[in-house]
Amino acid sequence: MKVSLSWLQEYVSLEGITPDELASTLTLRSQEIEAVYPLIEADKLLIGEVLSVKKNEKADKLSVCDVNTGKKTLQIVCGAPNVKKGQKVVVALPGAKLAGGLKIEKTTLRGVESNGMICSLTELGLDYKYHHEDGIHVLADTAPVGEDAIEYLAFNDTVVELDLTPNRSDLLSMHGVAYDVAAIYDRNLKLPTPEIITANQDNAFTIETQTDKCPSYYARILDNVTIAPSPRWLQARLIAAGIRPINNVVDITNYVMLETGQPLHAFDLDKLSANRVLVREAKQGETFITLDEDKRTLEEGDVLITDGEKPIALGGVMGGLDTEVGDATVSLLLESATFDPRQIRRTSSRLDLRSESSIRFERGVDPEKTPYALDRACAFLATYAKASIRNGVRYFDHHKTEKRIIPIALEKVNNVLGAQYTKEDIKSVFDRLNFSYEEKEGRFLVEAPSRRVDIETYQDLIEEIGRLKDFNELPDTLPSTVSIGSLSAYQRFKRDIRKTLSALGLSEAITYCLREKERINDLTRENESPVELSKPLSKAHHALVLSPLTGLFDVVAYNKARKQESVHVFEIGKRYRKNEEPERLGIAMHGPFHPRHWQKTPPTNFFTLKGVVEALQKGLRLPRLSYEKATLENYHPHQSAVVKAGDTTVGHIGKVHPEYAEGYDVEDVYLAELAIDKLFEMRQKAPTYRAVSKYPGISRDLALVVDEDLAAGELQKTVERTLEDKLKESRVFDVYTGKNIEEGKKSLAIRLVFEAREETLQSKEIDCEIDRVIKALKETHNARLR
Amino acid sequence: MDIQKRIEELEEALKKELENVKTMNDLQNVKSKFLGKKAEISGFMKHMKDLSNDEKPAFGKKVNEGKQRLSALIEEKREALRKAAIEEKLRQETIDVTLDAPDFTPGGVHILNRIVEEIEDIFVGMGYKIKEGPEIETDEMNFEKLNLPKDHPARDMQDSLYITEELLLRTHTSPVQVRTMLEYGGKKPVKIICPGKVYRRDDDDATHSHQFLQIEGLVVDKNTTMSDLKGTLNTIAKAMFGEEREIRLRPSYFPFTEPSVEVDVTCANCAGEGCNICKQTGYIEILGAGMVNDFVLKESGYDPKIYQGFAFGLGIERVAMLKYGIEDIRHFYTNDLRFNTQFK
Ligand SMILES: [Zn+2]
Repeated sequence: MKVSLSWLQEYVSLEGITPDELASTLTLRSQEIEAVYPLIEADKLLIGEVLSVKKNEKADKLSVCDVNTGKKTLQIVCGAPNVKKGQKVVVALPGAKLAGGLKIEKTTLRGVESNGMICSLTELGLDYKYHHEDGIHVLADTAPVGEDAIEYLAFNDTVVELDLTPNRSDLLSMHGVAYDVAAIYDRNLKLPTPEIITANQDNAFTIETQTDKCPSYYARILDNVTIAPSPRWLQARLIAAGIRPINNVVDITNYVMLETGQPLHAFDLDKLSANRVLVREAKQGETFITLDEDKRTLEEGDVLITDGEKPIALGGVMGGLDTEVGDATVSLLLESATFDPRQIRRTSSRLDLRSESSIRFERGVDPEKTPYALDRACAFLATYAKASIRNGVRYFDHHKTEKRIIPIALEKVNNVLGAQYTKEDIKSVFDRLNFSYEEKEGRFLVEAPSRRVDIETYQDLIEEIGRLKDFNELPDTLPSTVSIGSLSAYQRFKRDIRKTLSALGLSEAITYCLREKERINDLTRENESPVELSKPLSKAHHALVLSPLTGLFDVVAYNKARKQESVHVFEIGKRYRKNEEPERLGIAMHGPFHPRHWQKTPPTNFFTLKGVVEALQKGLRLPRLSYEKATLENYHPHQSAVVKAGDTTVGHIGKVHPEYAEGYDVEDVYLAELAIDKLFEMRQKAPTYRAVSKYPGISRDLALVVDEDLAAGELQKTVERTLEDKLKESRVFDVYTGKNIEEGKKSLAIRLVFEAREETLQSKEIDCEIDRVIKALKETHNARLR
Repeated sequence: MDIQKRIEELEEALKKELENVKTMNDLQNVKSKFLGKKAEISGFMKHMKDLSNDEKPAFGKKVNEGKQRLSALIEEKREALRKAAIEEKLRQETIDVTLDAPDFTPGGVHILNRIVEEIEDIFVGMGYKIKEGPEIETDEMNFEKLNLPKDHPARDMQDSLYITEELLLRTHTSPVQVRTMLEYGGKKPVKIICPGKVYRRDDDDATHSHQFLQIEGLVVDKNTTMSDLKGTLNTIAKAMFGEEREIRLRPSYFPFTEPSVEVDVTCANCAGEGCNICKQTGYIEILGAGMVNDFVLKESGYDPKIYQGFAFGLGIERVAMLKYGIEDIRHFYTNDLRFNTQFK
């Protein structure tokens, strides 16, 4: 809501309050102020009269004018084609300021001296949308030469723009703003009372409704209307409020709407088929052409104002083109009605048709203002359009007239706010707000005024008290609730994952969860249909991801394209489903990893990533993980595995298929995904202690020749099964094929570490165990010692 | 023969030879020559028999002392050789200490999650628990139970991403509050914060993101007041933005709180004087808050005649942008490592 301060002054004195002070006070006590600005930027302009116009000999687009500015006659060069002798115009003399801070100086144009400028409205700082004028602005013949032009045009005004919250529909009117300002500053409020004189002509007119979505409808008929421009002050105020002046009838309906918050509509009476208004709901598919010349297709529920035969307005949203007021209009049907807020909202948002009227109706208007606004507009029309008002107002009004009484006790106010206000404090707030109340049995019974549709409960009253007393005056205390704060074990677990991976040198990423539908399953292990938006934001943000890997792969490609040599990233994301959102850890690795050095940097490959996964496993007490070679779509067919904990699959790991990667201009990308929710459930809950053995361990190395396609893990499983708890650890420390190893075979070197808990291990004993292992390996895997 | 003189001559000869000794091997040879069985000094004892009994002890002493002196010279040389050998070995181990170390740079937690963790820690310190919930929410949880019926004008404030008529991506983490209250069964006090991702129908630009992170807080008890809210927010603002920051409360509107306020913190850039960052107001908006609307308490199983509470919510991106002067919200989701790795 853009508030003209000169207008506001009519209802409440702003004496001693600067616009900036008003803005900061309203911000703290009422609504946030978006901006404070003068209606126009221009300054020091005069009214002049064009005495003569000659063409400049050197440039025929320029006219050389003699302009009487009251005290002096000055030569001014003007470029506008519409300048004519005898016009009253707006003149900027040297020293004046125009829009955009342009300073006027004496200049020479094509060798001709120019002592100022004849201005257009745009040059004054008025947006084109308010006037649609291309050339200089021509004033009325009666404009007084030498006087201040800005004052004459009533543009000497300041606008305070309120950023309204949707509950305060009352502030969509100047009256509402005046109520609030008067309450905040504790000043008197004086609102006008419309006085109309009706002609003796009878108003033979019927008004009916067939829907409860139009609870009230008031109308008057006016005759002998003279369509003309509105007075300057009225036009200026509309412009200040952001509305383009059209003609006196339209402008007055808009003016009264801004003043009271009650939208009005004027119909050209002669274009109605009958002296009748019938309000009904639209039929499915019914069409109607609105004022903006758009053919609207309606749905059941939309409210139509009709003349009994044809629709004349889309109720509460916009009038019809057929019954629009024009230059030839003589008689008016003036409507002041109320509509169901929810229906207006439905209609206007479906048709994407937001009007000043629909904005107010969908938030709720003051039903007591409906007849008031009608009379107020009639009074203006009588004055400024020379209209005569027919006798009698026609209406129906189904609004409940019961008072809305809200009880509230002082203790409740103080208990909610944590304040120590007195009864007098509370009374003073209600008085300033013009809320009536009575005290009964220790409570205030407050009557919520009809203009404040947002005041419904005691909490709303507490808000009024809080804001008028200033929330910032409340003490700073902390809740008395005693409780133990903590992260859950799972929340700590997730933090540990982040900490561990960060310490290892990986960076956390946060990627978008909404992605292209086609790519959702590219890098997941199990395909399924993703959850999709019913109205996608865009093609790129269409469906919910099933793995953080979708985003992480792109992070690799993005950074690679920006010449980042190493990209090692992770993200804790989700597998989004309609009824569950299990969390997934994604890891992506590409390029040299630790320790990058001039001496030697180990290559980054499948095993680097496997090492990172194992670091998590060891660092976070996860169950032992095993890896089973697997074929996964878009992954390297021979460098991918599912990750298992016991018999449960908990994730996958692998190299992205080179062909897929190439499609995104990357290569050598390694990805892993782990179901951290499952791993959390399976992990060892707390560390367990086991005394350190007093006896030294013994290790033995075995070099074995086995079939080339035998997985080392299988071999180790057999070793472990054979030695059981005597074995502390087995590790493959060399893999070799080539010279001295026959075709189809490979050599695996395994280190076995034995640990004795009871006594020093005897070499003989170990030899015996080794023999058992070799025998078992031969039987199970046909392995032989090299 | 003057034994004394001869021993001194031997000493001189040994010193001379030792000068040329370079290795332990050379030293061993010299030692054999001067102190071995066939060495001259070893032969001196044979002369003992030619001496009178009176002379014998003095002679013997001189020979032994002579042997000791020769031996000392050799040992001295041996020590010198050993030291030289060690020094040479160390010299060969010389390195260029300015050469680069292997790169063990740690990665880092994403700046947004770091801020979430920081805020969580402050609240955990004040006795709050952390609650999370689904991002795919029902219209009922996201809106209706929060006093936002269908067709409510405030639904415009958060234009939403729907999946079906009844399912949408949550527009705030408030439904977690409702879920928690329902879980607590209307019986015990609530003191929680709810961090998480939320979504709005916005086109991404420098200040808008269709996905962002939010933290909301909720305290419900028998005597929770608006002053408690103010004190809590003041504590948080100071902990997050610095001791010298002040907050201010402005009336606002949220359907789920009543009264509702928006909370500004004094601008760190200009200390409240007014600058471009704060649009000359001296304040920067950081969060929305208020007393929980009775409707919400009722819908969540709490009796508003007994319980009351406050709630607040803030956007993490906004906090990060203010704290670090980050100018474009999209940086957080681009994951350019040159950006992500700056926040250690
Ligand atoms: Zn500032």
